[in-house]
Amino acid sequence: MLNKTRSALGLAVAAAMLAGVAQAEEGKLYLFNWTEYMDPEIIEAFEEKYDVEVVTNYFNSNPEMIAKLNAGGTSQYDIVVPSNYYIPRMIETGLIQKLDRSQIPNFDNLMAQFKDPSFDPGAEYSAAYQWGTTGLVYNTETFPDAPKSWSLLFDPEVNGDYPFSMIQDGQVATGSACAYLGASFDCSGLDDLKNAARLLIETKNRDNFSGFTDGTPTLQQLARGVTHVGMSFNGDYLYFKDEDPETFEHLDFVIPDEGAEMWVDSMVIPSEAPNPELAHKFIDFILDAEIGAQLSNYNYYASPNEAARPHLDEVLTQPPTQPSEEDMARLVFTPSLSGQQLQTFQQLWSEVKAR
Amino acid sequence: MRKRTLKRGLSAFWWLTLVFLYLPLAVVVLFSFNAANSAASMTGLSLRWYHQLFANDQIMSAFGNTLVLALTSSLIALVIGCLIGYGMYRHRHRKLGWLIVLIYLPIVLPDIVFGISEMAFFVKVNELTGLLGPGLGTMIIAHVTFQIPFVALIVYSRFVGLDPSLFEAAKDLYASPFKRVVHFMLPTIKPALISAFFLSFTLSVDDFVISFFTSGPESATLPIYIWGAIKKGVSPEINAIATLMIAAVALAALASLVVNRRKA
Amino acid sequence: MTDTAVLGRSQGMVREARHLLFTVTPGAAWIIVFLVLPSAYLMGVAFMTNGPYGLPQMPLSLDSFKQLAGFGFLGWSPGNLYTLLRSLWQTLVATGLVVIVAYPIAYYITTCRAKWRPIMLLLVVVPSWTNQVIRTFGWMNLLAPGTPLSSVAESLGLIAPNMGLYPSNFAVTLGLVYNFLPFMVLPLYAAFEKLDTAQVEAAQDLYATPVKAFWHAVFPQTLPGLLAGIVLVAIPAFGMYVIPELLGGGKALMLGNLVANQFSGGSNWPLGAAGAILMLLATFAGLYAMRRIGKRLGGGEEVVI
Repeated sequence: MLNKTRSALGLAVAAAMLAGVAQAEEGKLYLFNWTEYMDPEIIEAFEEKYDVEVVTNYFNSNPEMIAKLNAGGTSQYDIVVPSNYYIPRMIETGLIQKLDRSQIPNFDNLMAQFKDPSFDPGAEYSAAYQWGTTGLVYNTETFPDAPKSWSLLFDPEVNGDYPFSMIQDGQVATGSACAYLGASFDCSGLDDLKNAARLLIETKNRDNFSGFTDGTPTLQQLARGVTHVGMSFNGDYLYFKDEDPETFEHLDFVIPDEGAEMWVDSMVIPSEAPNPELAHKFIDFILDAEIGAQLSNYNYYASPNEAARPHLDEVLTQPPTQPSEEDMARLVFTPSLSGQQLQTFQQLWSEVKAR
Repeated sequence: MRKRTLKRGLSAFWWLTLVFLYLPLAVVVLFSFNAANSAASMTGLSLRWYHQLFANDQIMSAFGNTLVLALTSSLIALVIGCLIGYGMYRHRHRKLGWLIVLIYLPIVLPDIVFGISEMAFFVKVNELTGLLGPGLGTMIIAHVTFQIPFVALIVYSRFVGLDPSLFEAAKDLYASPFKRVVHFMLPTIKPALISAFFLSFTLSVDDFVISFFTSGPESATLPIYIWGAIKKGVSPEINAIATLMIAAVALAALASLVVNRRKA
Repeated sequence: MTDTAVLGRSQGMVREARHLLFTVTPGAAWIIVFLVLPSAYLMGVAFMTNGPYGLPQMPLSLDSFKQLAGFGFLGWSPGNLYTLLRSLWQTLVATGLVVIVAYPIAYYITTCRAKWRPIMLLLVVVPSWTNQVIRTFGWMNLLAPGTPLSSVAESLGLIAPNMGLYPSNFAVTLGLVYNFLPFMVLPLYAAFEKLDTAQVEAAQDLYATPVKAFWHAVFPQTLPGLLAGIVLVAIPAFGMYVIPELLGGGKALMLGNLVANQFSGGSNWPLGAAGAILMLLATFAGLYAMRRIGKRLGGGEEVVI
């Protein structure tokens, strides 16, 4: 009888061990990336070159990405591609490890400003992947004389009737409200944040507000006519426009005159990545001149890769991928908040969501 | 007279409710054959979303994960739940209040509390020991946890429904407890075992919230994949996967009908 | 009693105890290790401090409960209270509607011929066998702007032009009713099946209106089924996550979303844990209340929980 008890317990233990089976199989690279952000052919080329398998998981926003890492993801992924304003907090909390530059000879291909970014001095932890902007996308048939302004979202006089969405990432939504109110997109003062939150609450309670959505799905909603204005990314806009030119003919991407966000997405290696060696190889592979160009040619984002420049398609040198000089002057980084500031912001944002 | 109008009214209400229950599913099935990428209008019939579906490795692996998870967890829960169901029956005259509370706990705990408790706990254990990293293993553990009570209760109520003298007869007939289990107990509760297994399986396939919080990079199930696809912006492929899952459920329903008929 | 008999009896007791241990231990241990411990850990998290990036930290504190009540760095704000009230309200409305729909349906099934009844019950239950995400997705398809239902609602002036029926609070209520209807029909049907028809007929002769007859003869008899149904509907509805997330569009946040967002948005684990404790308390309070009501009205024994 006791033997049976033991064997029953053994079964339970065996099942529990199942979970412990190390996932770090040799020859597998776990990539955690944004949706619609990677040319499948690049993945195939990498798999072939190193005889490995790449397993990709996707996220739609930075908050979603960090939540997955906090929930055990630091030992699950080899490469993650967060945006600039999340990198300092990932360094500070020890979620990511320092890069071994000796394993990334192609790092030198990056443009000078990406070798020493403000969010990661000396680029010790991150290697730039792509950069882009977050702006407004709207239906030109609904708004033939649309102002180049955030008022398309925030002013009921400008859009009182047509459904619109705002971006799910609280910091970016708050930035746009700040910009509209005359503070800068990268506002971080308490009063500015409070005013922005107040405006966001007012706006989300308007009848024609349809919901908070992430940047990429916003474009799908616009394409299907579910919404008529929303916030999204320049490269994704071009990518979908290329896929479905007919629908996107009357959708336009603009950088509002009040200012908007420019971001840099960078490759980082989680602190307990199962296969850091392969992760370094992957970063080096992406930073290759031709691969870097292939990537940008595929996803329509601007390349941080100086060496890739000769191989880039012409469309990438024009707006909206490469914003005009005027617009460029209005673009700022979303601030990376920390400590008390971050907690204050989070409280305001949860208030916006709850009301 | 009044009774007839009442009956007619009820009948009309019944059909209306059926429309209400099946309309959303019907729309999913209909749009899975839509030629256009639109949720609002049908432009023609086509199988293109199904072609895309079968060419999509992620969907296929999610399908595999769903099956492995449901089968494995149901089998483990069947063994453990069966034991506990029998224990509850055999010792029903003792004070087992604590056991009843324990068994009802997974049933009454809100999904979201269930899911995040396990997630937070697994993360902590993983941090300390390296075991229980999120993946199919943690999902199986979580699913077994909510399946055990249902199996136990079904098996228990089957035993309660039996004539106690049967047990005495079996005791006379088979000397060894092992033989009693194989030749008497298991055959007698077979119907309960089958329905417990199917219920466990259904519960597993039906679950989203708990799976979502305990899954890892390679263990997405179909509901998790669909959730991701919805969040990413509705792709008509979702209609096609959902249709296949609805078809599976319809088949199961038909099967249960046939089985019931045969019994009657 | 001889010594051997005493010995035999105590041996038998030992054997029984062993048997109990053998059958019950694996399951009980499983639930304790994989559910009770995790829940206890989560409760512990609620009493920790929120770290700078949303993860729990020492020292212990009651900050998360204060935050849940709305007291933050910026003074008191009503957001969480709104969420709580919205959850209660949605649960109340959805449960009420489910009861209103389920009563006639359950009754109608019992009036039909015996051979049809299993099929009819199956028809009611089958939609709930499909995944929750898929069912909700079906409603997203049906209620989106530009769909026939939305156009009808628009022409009736029920919603603003160009707006769909989804996302909205209404869509969430509808989703909840759809999701939970079968869980009310089944126990009510079981109650109706046991109904003493003689009593009902007598009541029909006794009371002038069908409403009175229903109230005095039918309702008390179906009460156990109703209570069981309310437990099965209201508790999961209160903690619902999927439906408000997909059909609410950011205007209909419920407690389940508030809790989940603290984890899935990576913002504040202790606050999420405190919310989970609130949900647990509400669940147990609800169960307790139902039991009390059931007992007082005499149907207590038959309530499932």
